[in-house]
Amino acid sequence: MTMAEPVLSAEHLTKSFGGRVAVSDVSFELGAGEVFGFLGPNGAGKTTTIRMLVGLARPDRGRVRIRGIDLARDFTRAMAHVGCIVESPDLYPYLTGRENLLHFARMLPDGAAARIPELARLVALEERLDDRVSTYSLGMRQRLGIAQALLGAPDLLILDEPANGLDPAGIREIRRLVRALAAERGMGVFVSSHLLSEVEQMCDRVAIIHRGRTLATGPVSELLSRSASGFRILARPAAKAAEVLGPMLAGLPEPDADEAFLVSAPAEAIPGAVRALVEAGVEVFAVERRASTLEDVFLEVTGGETV
Amino acid sequence: MRFLPLVENEVLKLWKRRRFRLVLLILVALIGIVVIARVEGQRRFGSRKDWRIDTQEQVARMRNWLRQGRLPETQGRWVRFEIARLQYHLDHNINPEEATGPLFARGFANFASYLLLHLLAIAFAADIVSSEFAEGTVKLLLTRPVGRRRVLASKLAALLLAVGLTVLLGGIVAYVFGGLAWGYRGWDAPVLTGFRLAGETVDSSGVRAVPMWEDAILVFGLAWFATATVAVIGFMTSVLLRSTAASMGTMFAALILGTILPRVASNWEFQKYLFVTSLPLPDYYTGSPPPIAGMTVPFSVVVLAAWALAALGVSFSVFARRDVLA
Repeated sequence: MTMAEPVLSAEHLTKSFGGRVAVSDVSFELGAGEVFGFLGPNGAGKTTTIRMLVGLARPDRGRVRIRGIDLARDFTRAMAHVGCIVESPDLYPYLTGRENLLHFARMLPDGAAARIPELARLVALEERLDDRVSTYSLGMRQRLGIAQALLGAPDLLILDEPANGLDPAGIREIRRLVRALAAERGMGVFVSSHLLSEVEQMCDRVAIIHRGRTLATGPVSELLSRSASGFRILARPAAKAAEVLGPMLAGLPEPDADEAFLVSAPAEAIPGAVRALVEAGVEVFAVERRASTLEDVFLEVTGGETV
Repeated sequence: MRFLPLVENEVLKLWKRRRFRLVLLILVALIGIVVIARVEGQRRFGSRKDWRIDTQEQVARMRNWLRQGRLPETQGRWVRFEIARLQYHLDHNINPEEATGPLFARGFANFASYLLLHLLAIAFAADIVSSEFAEGTVKLLLTRPVGRRRVLASKLAALLLAVGLTVLLGGIVAYVFGGLAWGYRGWDAPVLTGFRLAGETVDSSGVRAVPMWEDAILVFGLAWFATATVAVIGFMTSVLLRSTAASMGTMFAALILGTILPRVASNWEFQKYLFVTSLPLPDYYTGSPPPIAGMTVPFSVVVLAAWALAALGVSFSVFARRDVLA
């Protein structure tokens, strides 16, 4: 995806805390109408990166630009285009939802308060808007946090782990909302997550971050195709099956716990392999196609570490 | 971005957090107890004979002294003032031996400048910044299109507003309760002002009589100034420590130190440069000896102002620069 001007660009962000490098040389760009996933295990540097994106932390090296405006040089002008939730949707618990929204509307140019009814409807909080936030569930706080982030009609929405604390229905709701904001309002949305399935379903492009470094960046579809699709073959006895398959399929792995083989091979190689197994007297119980997932990509780029 | 809506936000949070209402309640309860205690104490004495006759006799006696002309000039001034004061009470039918509402209200600034007002100021100041860190809301507050210095300035404005209101309301509550007990009249009673302690003796060359209301405004001004300084220093600890408990603890320790030091080590000269030593400013303005010999009201005002400015400088430069990892 190429864009005239990215909504957000991070260039070589680097940050260490007392000698420990938390984020190292992280770069990416995010365009209008695009949902960008920032995927990595907890502690990989996601939240530190987000803190640098919104000016809470100063990068040791590197630069953040929002709509082309240098964040370090012109903080207020850059942040006028941003709505965000960092780490958790913390709002004032002793204020009502409406009071919280009014509070943050006062920090924006005139007219933000007028959006409150519409936003309350959008995040389905109309009925509880005049209750104190301390009585809200985590999911409701998450939704109020999103409404707060949208108050200024931003071009860039930054959501840190938006699926945290939500039930499956809530997660679906957020996913739908994020897709709609990108598609209908042309917002660039930056979503961090440690959940592969989440990112896979919600995002157009993804960056995988691990130990403070981005290991792979690209459209979700491209990353998926990079990891070859595979087959799962369950045949007995396993030792004999290995003997037969070994010469035919390069790089045959050891059988897994169920004594099944996970092979990555083009589909054309499968009928021949099955015929050879049958002819050798090996009993074939199952041959299944395995679609590659971001998890495979992740395992691949991190060298086998799980999320 | 306009500034007033930001101050509105901070005032709203101060109010909704119920801290301010609690402070008002403490003020009302405390002043009420002091008034009741003094009324009860007076009752023990029992009613004496007619105070008017007593006072008229006193005035006549002092007029006599003056007529005889054997008093040195310094004492003569005292006597003349005393005559004027007693005459005021006779003219307005107020017992000079008894408290009045205005007198008690003015006295509030004095006794409240030993700890009470300062503790209340700390109750506001200690969490005005650190609570945002504790609740995590600082991440939202500082990712809005408003510079960090402006955000901090709005908090400072709300804090000074709350402190000013507390001092003012303290005075009003003291006047209302005092008036209930001793009558509301007496705002223009003459009071002496301008005492200075020069070594062991009182230098009364600057002493003059002013109406009570004028004196009260000055005393309350000084009380407000001292309290605002404590608030600003508490504000700095709130910025630096990012924890309400730690900030309160530090400030309480400092205040307690300020009340102990002049008693246990009155000849350690350096303590006059500490802000805590200058806090009972209204009290030694009205004639009590200063905590350390040689301290004057202008000196203390300068010391407090220097501390307040330094605290503001530290608060703003740290808050504007530091990474927020809450």
